[in-house]
Amino acid sequence: MAPVLPLALPLQPRIRLAQGLWLLSWLLALVGALTLLCSGHLLVQLWHLGTFLAPSCPVAALPQVALAASAVALGTGLVGSGASRASLDAAQYPPWRGVLGPLLVAGTAGGGGLLVLALGLALALPGTLDTGLEEGLGTALANYKDTEVPGRCQAKRLLDELQLRHHCCGRHGYKDWFGIQWVSSRYLDPNDQDVVDRIQSNVEGLYLIDGVPFSCCNPHSPRPCLQSQLSDPHAHPLFDPRQPNLNLWAQGCHEVLLGHLQGLSSTLGNMLAVTFLLQTLVLLGLRYLQTALEGLGGVIDGEGEAQGYLFPAGLKDMLKTAWLQGGVARRPAPEEAPPEDEPPKEGLPEA
Amino acid sequence: MALLKVKFDQKKRVKLAQGLWLMNWLSVLAGIIIFGLGLFLKIELRKRSDMMDNSESHFVPNSLIGMGVLSCVFNSLAGKICYDALDPAKYAKWKPWLKPYLAVCVLFNIVLFLVALCCFLLRGSLESTLAHGLKNGMKFYRDTDTPGRCFMKKTIDMLQIEFKCCGNNGFRDWFEIQWISNRYLDFSSKEVKDRIKSNVDGRYLVDGVPFSCCNPSSPRPCIQYQLTNNSAHYSYDHQTEELNLWVRGCRVALLSYYSNLMNSVGAVTLLVWLFEVTITVGLRYLHTALEGVANPEDPECESEGWLLEKSIPETWKAFLESVKKLGKGNQVEAEGVDAGQAPEAG
Repeated sequence: MAPVLPLALPLQPRIRLAQGLWLLSWLLALVGALTLLCSGHLLVQLWHLGTFLAPSCPVAALPQVALAASAVALGTGLVGSGASRASLDAAQYPPWRGVLGPLLVAGTAGGGGLLVLALGLALALPGTLDTGLEEGLGTALANYKDTEVPGRCQAKRLLDELQLRHHCCGRHGYKDWFGIQWVSSRYLDPNDQDVVDRIQSNVEGLYLIDGVPFSCCNPHSPRPCLQSQLSDPHAHPLFDPRQPNLNLWAQGCHEVLLGHLQGLSSTLGNMLAVTFLLQTLVLLGLRYLQTALEGLGGVIDGEGEAQGYLFPAGLKDMLKTAWLQGGVARRPAPEEAPPEDEPPKEGLPEA
Repeated sequence: MALLKVKFDQKKRVKLAQGLWLMNWLSVLAGIIIFGLGLFLKIELRKRSDMMDNSESHFVPNSLIGMGVLSCVFNSLAGKICYDALDPAKYAKWKPWLKPYLAVCVLFNIVLFLVALCCFLLRGSLESTLAHGLKNGMKFYRDTDTPGRCFMKKTIDMLQIEFKCCGNNGFRDWFEIQWISNRYLDFSSKEVKDRIKSNVDGRYLVDGVPFSCCNPSSPRPCIQYQLTNNSAHYSYDHQTEELNLWVRGCRVALLSYYSNLMNSVGAVTLLVWLFEVTITVGLRYLHTALEGVANPEDPECESEGWLLEKSIPETWKAFLESVKKLGKGNQVEAEGVDAGQAPEAG
């Protein structure tokens, strides 16, 4: 039964390990806290943009898993700093002896699993974002005119505020507005010949115009905003639609939002990778420290040669011992049962 | 008769010194916060200085910054004094400086209170500066070709979008100025020529507003032009229409923003002032308690601490006497010097 990856740890290297571990643990706690804040920020941003993402898009999974993973990393960091501090002091170490083993298992399984899941989601996110935004923005543009329909009446305000805040217009450009009816039929004069002509000339009976809402206007333009008759070069003096100009926002909201959210999630992914690295180092260090101190019987300043290892034996040997131990534990069960019945009976008459 | 006498034994004195040491370091933190608030206020005023004709008064943020720095210096010094107060040897070297230091502290507290009061009173001057600045700003809205004023359009548009406001007092302010540059007017059009001729100053005035006045909460697409002409738009009555444009004027919006900011800063400054007064009072008690230790060889003895040695009118009389003596003292010295010089000359 040879221990896996043994490492000789006399007193001085053990102290050095504990001190280095203490530093690393505080660093892990700091990075965990920062990742927590970053995933919280991403969650808030996704919640704000909820109307523009298709409901079927499971985008919120990444920040939620990252939140859990960073909380576990923060906990691991705090536990690691406490344990490494205690391992330098003979009086403080005994309470940690029993707790450290299960904590290490929980940290590796829980933290490691969550981190790997979060990293995987961070890599897979951009694809789902693209389709989700495409669908969501398309629905939002179609619902712009439905300010009287319950459930959709906020679409106009939200889309206007999105275009004003993120400096974008339409899905991929301002011409997207030419293809949908964004003026509510309630405000169209049925007696106006121009309106009737437009509606009749359209196959689906939609009122389409070559104009955009006011939220597409760019304040940097030197002239007052031109919103209507954008395809007609003679409608406005000194304005030729073929020339690039500052009149409207040039970018489409799809590109802007995609870039914004992808930037946030890539930052989060980088921070998760750093957290993963630090957590692995801290857990390894704690394991070596724990096994070395167990070898000395919990005596901190013992000068003896202690050996730290990852596992007491190889995987096959461990499974064999676990199986044998389970069999031994099952046999004496009937003998143990009668003594268990007696103490409660004794306890009742006293009470 | 001493004012507010309190008996101190050794333990109480030590506790007082330790408590004061902690409070002084907390107060250094408070001083840093005041400094930060002053800096924040200064940056906010600079951000919108275009709207105030660059003539706004920076007195309040500058004084907050100064007070924050002074507070840090004084309180760290007081912390050092309190730390040394427990050691008679170290305390001996601070003893002669303590009385003037306490006088400076009292002066500092008075000035801090005045600065806190100024935070609440700045609103009045800001109102007139804003009204003036916004009026001029709107006049330069169309001058996007004039160097030095070409950013005014962008600034006003961003302001109206961010603060959800329109014009100086309301959207009708835009009807009275020409906000469309001549460069983009078609002078061959009859309508343009008529409008310009009908105006005394030859300006092109419209009953329309820029796009930044539009309210996104309106159920219909924004109506910007021909606002007073009901027949120009279907199902539109300009008397009852409220959601189309922002109703608030930008002067009121900016004023309420700055008032809220100043009020919170003023409240924080008042809290810090109360804290500083407590520290000064505690320091005075420590000073008089340590002075009152009758026997320097026996540190365990009891002593008394007070705020003022005599009652307030007696202290005021004594203060006036000492000021008179100072004046008389100079006179006596001058006479002595003259008398000394005269025999020499003679």
